[in-house]
Amino acid sequence: MLVFEFVILIFVVSIFAGIFGSIVGLGGGVVVIPVLTILLGVDIHFAIGASIVAIIGTSSGAASTYVKDKVTNLRVGMFLELASASGAIVGAAIAAYTNSPILELVFGVILLITVIPTLTRIGEDIPKSPELKGLAKRLGLKGAYTETDGRLIEYNATRPVSGLAGTAVAGVLSGLLGIGGGGFKVISMDLAMKLPMKVSTTTSNFMIGVTAASSAGIYFARGDVNPLIVAPVALGILIGAAIGARILLRSRNPTVRKAFAIVLAVAALQMILSATGVIS
Amino acid sequence: MNIRDPESMNEIIGNVLRYGVIASAAVVLFGTLLLASSNGASDTSGILTYHPDQVPHGNYDVSLQGLINGLAGFSAYSWIELGVIFLIATPVSRVVISVFLFAAEKDRLYVVVTAVVLTLLLFSMLVTPFIPLFHA
Repeated sequence: MLVFEFVILIFVVSIFAGIFGSIVGLGGGVVVIPVLTILLGVDIHFAIGASIVAIIGTSSGAASTYVKDKVTNLRVGMFLELASASGAIVGAAIAAYTNSPILELVFGVILLITVIPTLTRIGEDIPKSPELKGLAKRLGLKGAYTETDGRLIEYNATRPVSGLAGTAVAGVLSGLLGIGGGGFKVISMDLAMKLPMKVSTTTSNFMIGVTAASSAGIYFARGDVNPLIVAPVALGILIGAAIGARILLRSRNPTVRKAFAIVLAVAALQMILSATGVIS
Repeated sequence: MNIRDPESMNEIIGNVLRYGVIASAAVVLFGTLLLASSNGASDTSGILTYHPDQVPHGNYDVSLQGLINGLAGFSAYSWIELGVIFLIATPVSRVVISVFLFAAEKDRLYVVVTAVVLTLLLFSMLVTPFIPLFHA
């Protein structure tokens, strides 16, 4: 394939990756990795390097809109980053010593199981907001945003410690494999902390950039960030994330939840297939 | 815009992310145009070959000196790398700014939370690549 053909193809794919990634809070890596490895035969290491760039791009590109629109909960994000940042360091240390396919398989299966509670609540709009108390109250984990129909949705978070634990798992996964953290972050906020779906996906979107940046240094130094691949990825992702952010703000919570369930299932299957050697 | 007003925090953080992204995209685009004009019609196989036995694993320089020389010589890969460095720096600067914004709000709890996050982030970005524990 010629350089300009490759660049244009990856650019177009990355626009779609940015759109989906920014809506579901997982980043664009879920789309970029299989296209690079399965379709184009690019080495998995370069694909993961590109995924790191895609995640940072989706995160920063969409977050500028989400944060200004106050859908993202900054305090929830900053608080949970304590766990994702610590987890990422632990994951990077584990990665040097353990056999990653087995861990990847375990995480893939867990992720696939978590699709079930997402599916059982597929039509849910706004969860009944719990009373703000205890640690969540001291941390100010509450917020409000304007829904598409003009309602002001006020919500409180609950079970911050469970949220922190789930996010720590997300961090370990990111540090270990360079991918896959976003799913656990959304689930921690959605299932454990009972935040509205759009708040969960946009706050995950806000956090994944920091988690990916923490492992970016090591991938960059190893030379896994290939300029030919990441240039069209970065440009396409940023355009896609800008489009995706506008779509999310006009979407209702059940729609976002459906999109999340689909992308989460795809991400989980990808990890299982990769661990079992079907994708290499 | 008043920095002590909690409402303006969203606005400031949103702008930090937006300008970081625009700067990164502009530099990556410049590098991509250099790439298209110099190597557009050549084959991708050379640059897409992964070399597991050497560091860096690709056919490009990732050292600081190599980057500076490449930028001065208008090397496409170096300009793309600079754009990617801007992109990686964007979420980091967002965390740095947040520490000051929470300080301006006199929210001591979140100054501590954000400062710890920043420390962990800088540790894993800059320190772990040099610790043997993190290498197989």
